[in-house]
Amino acid sequence: MEELSRQFETKTASRVDVTNGSSGNFFAQIQNGAPFDVFFSADIEYPRKLEATGFAEPGTLFEYAVGRIVIWAPHDGTVDVTKQGWNALLDARVQKIAIANPAHAPYGRAAVSALQKAGIHGRVKAKLVYGENISQAAQFVQSGNAQAGIIARSLALSPEMKAGQIWEIPAEMHPPIEQGAVVLKNGGNKTGARAFLDFVKSAEGREILEKFGFTAPRGN
Amino acid sequence: MTSLWLSFELASCVATILLFLGAPVAYWLAYSNWRGKFLLESIVALPLVLPPTVLGFYALLAMGPRGPLGKLWMTLFGHGLAFTFTGLVIASVLYSFPFAVQPLMVSFEAVDRKLLDASAVLGAGRWRTFCHIILPLSVPGVITALVLSFAHTLGEFGVVLMVGGNLAGVTRTVSIDIYDRVQSLEYAEANYQALLLLVISFAILCFVYAVNRRAWTPWTAK
Amino acid sequence: MDREIDPSSVFASIRAERRNRAASFVLDVSLEAPPGITILFGPSGAGKSTLLDCLAGLVSPDAGKIIAGQNVFFDSAKQINLPPQKRRVAYVFQSLALFPHLTVGQNVEYGLNHLPQTQRQTRVAEILEAFHVAHLRNQKTSQISGGEKQRTALARSLVTAPRVLLLDEPLAGVDAELKASIVHDLRAWNAARRIPILYVTHSRDEVDALGERVIAIDNGQVVSCGAPMDVLDAPRRKRLAQASGFENLLSGKVLDLRQPDGVMRVRLGGTACEIEVPLVHASTGDRVQIAIRAGDILLAAEPPHGLSARNILEGRITSLERRGAMMIAHVDCGNAKFVAHVTPGAVRELELGIQKQVWLVLKTHSCHLVD
Repeated sequence: MEELSRQFETKTASRVDVTNGSSGNFFAQIQNGAPFDVFFSADIEYPRKLEATGFAEPGTLFEYAVGRIVIWAPHDGTVDVTKQGWNALLDARVQKIAIANPAHAPYGRAAVSALQKAGIHGRVKAKLVYGENISQAAQFVQSGNAQAGIIARSLALSPEMKAGQIWEIPAEMHPPIEQGAVVLKNGGNKTGARAFLDFVKSAEGREILEKFGFTAPRGN
Repeated sequence: MTSLWLSFELASCVATILLFLGAPVAYWLAYSNWRGKFLLESIVALPLVLPPTVLGFYALLAMGPRGPLGKLWMTLFGHGLAFTFTGLVIASVLYSFPFAVQPLMVSFEAVDRKLLDASAVLGAGRWRTFCHIILPLSVPGVITALVLSFAHTLGEFGVVLMVGGNLAGVTRTVSIDIYDRVQSLEYAEANYQALLLLVISFAILCFVYAVNRRAWTPWTAK
Repeated sequence: MDREIDPSSVFASIRAERRNRAASFVLDVSLEAPPGITILFGPSGAGKSTLLDCLAGLVSPDAGKIIAGQNVFFDSAKQINLPPQKRRVAYVFQSLALFPHLTVGQNVEYGLNHLPQTQRQTRVAEILEAFHVAHLRNQKTSQISGGEKQRTALARSLVTAPRVLLLDEPLAGVDAELKASIVHDLRAWNAARRIPILYVTHSRDEVDALGERVIAIDNGQVVSCGAPMDVLDAPRRKRLAQASGFENLLSGKVLDLRQPDGVMRVRLGGTACEIEVPLVHASTGDRVQIAIRAGDILLAAEPPHGLSARNILEGRITSLERRGAMMIAHVDCGNAKFVAHVTPGAVRELELGIQKQVWLVLKTHSCHLVD
């Protein structure tokens, strides 16, 4: 998101302020009048709901990326995730596995789904610990408190985590993580908002998204 | 209501532990004449001004495999400290430390020094003087310390969020649970829990303060 | 079995410096207190309480020795410093320091923890009887009267069979009758045991009632010691004089010394009055302070003749007021102001009144030189 904003700023000489937080919180805040212009969410359901309840500009909803998940462990970790993939999680030395909370985070739901598809969910369930969001899950693994975790691919490719071991989970093992964006009704700068969204949709924007581990959405 | 029960369990453990840990510190602060006393006072008061997330963050690192606490725990028990109830207790004890120490210290200081002198002259050693003179005369302080650390831990969120891992029945306290419900848009459930917590906490406080009227000492740092 | 108390004296020779924000105070004393009551007399701030604190072990002197009989409490040279718990010194504070959350019985019992239960109960019962507070045994100390509190405090300290008893103004604020009865009980108790009792006071009445020996302390130092009369009736320090009831304190300049007569002539400051006072080590021109008791001054309605007294000063009465059984007369002798005590009868007979011209008679030896 930083990269996208920066590029947009240099191109159009306008300022972009990014606020990070959880989708659930923003959802509640927007409904109570928060003055954001655009809302990007890892779960397209939220922007969809906003459109349905009239808080978004009609026709601006679009899926900007598809999220992918990976198994991640620090590079000096106890198990070799890159080689073993799912088996790494079954190893006795992996005592805690961090994922995002499936109750409200799409990446968490995807992680559980993938674990079930891989047939090991029952066996690793006791080892799971839940982060409030995917970033916290990543933090748990990075600090070493969890020996491995299932996190967003975009996070795994970020500078701080690039050096770790990664095993990409095939996209078929979980329902697609559709990340959606929408222009909000309550925002002050609608033209700017639309321009930003256009930028994200453009080839340049897509390039940046790919660089950071987001797959382009099918269609659109 | 496992999460509510868990919160009460956590708060009770922490309040009790803090009484035993806090009393010696409060005693030393009340009666020592060391010029560097202000250093210890500041350290004790730190959790009052630090955002709980800062504390939680450092706690997470300390409990990790590279941290001092984590290493110790691993050698002793063979598993990590984060994501356990014990880990929460330790982090909460640090977080609520000043809420126990300060009322105790104020109470101890308020005991007439001449009484302590009289006790010494009559042959009582420091331990006996503490048990028979200082403690009985500090009951309001003890109660305030217990209640404040209990209440403070009950409402704890930031620290638990950072080191808990949200495990049902182990580290998912009611404050985390309420937050989760809001995140999942289950507003009715969240409201129900929040209200329940409010009512029960209020009832406890009412009972304690009614029974011990002198315990209403809004602690003042001297 | 109860340990034997060796009935012997307390010796203390100590130096202690107390520094607080305002000033520093140095206590530098050397004294001995044999069995019996020794009064420590002096104005407030003289260091009496600090001295008691050192004897009890609550404060450590900087240097010196404290010995009670065969027991060395403190010796800076040998690095001995017994904590209060081990000294078996009883100390009754001015504020009494009774434990408010305990009953009278529990307070008195407090120091007997080292004894088995039965012995404890016997001792407690005995002393409560001796001090007439047995009926209050189960009352909380916060609920008893002032006099009863004092008795309880004494009982609590004495039940431990101490080697030394320290009392810091224990009877301040108690009315005369009560004082007398408490003193009587204390005396009775000590008649059997004969331990050194150090009794701090700045009240002259208590000295007269109790005193066997008096040690006068001022400004952290022992000024004099001996029998009450010697110490208090010939005070050598101005503050001591004030504390001991010398209503007149005058300053003057030495005019000349008359060695063979043992007197010297002094001119009272700011006046033309000259009086004769006992000769002390001084030179002509020195400034001196003279203390005279109001009760030692005679008034005459006409110039007296043939008296042995060397000082006769003419003056005028400036005020006359009654206090109890006595009349207080303020007399101005050429700017030297005196206070004299006379009986109402004398006032009537001599027809003394304001503005009346009178003659003051002062014996040379009623004039005491003080520092």
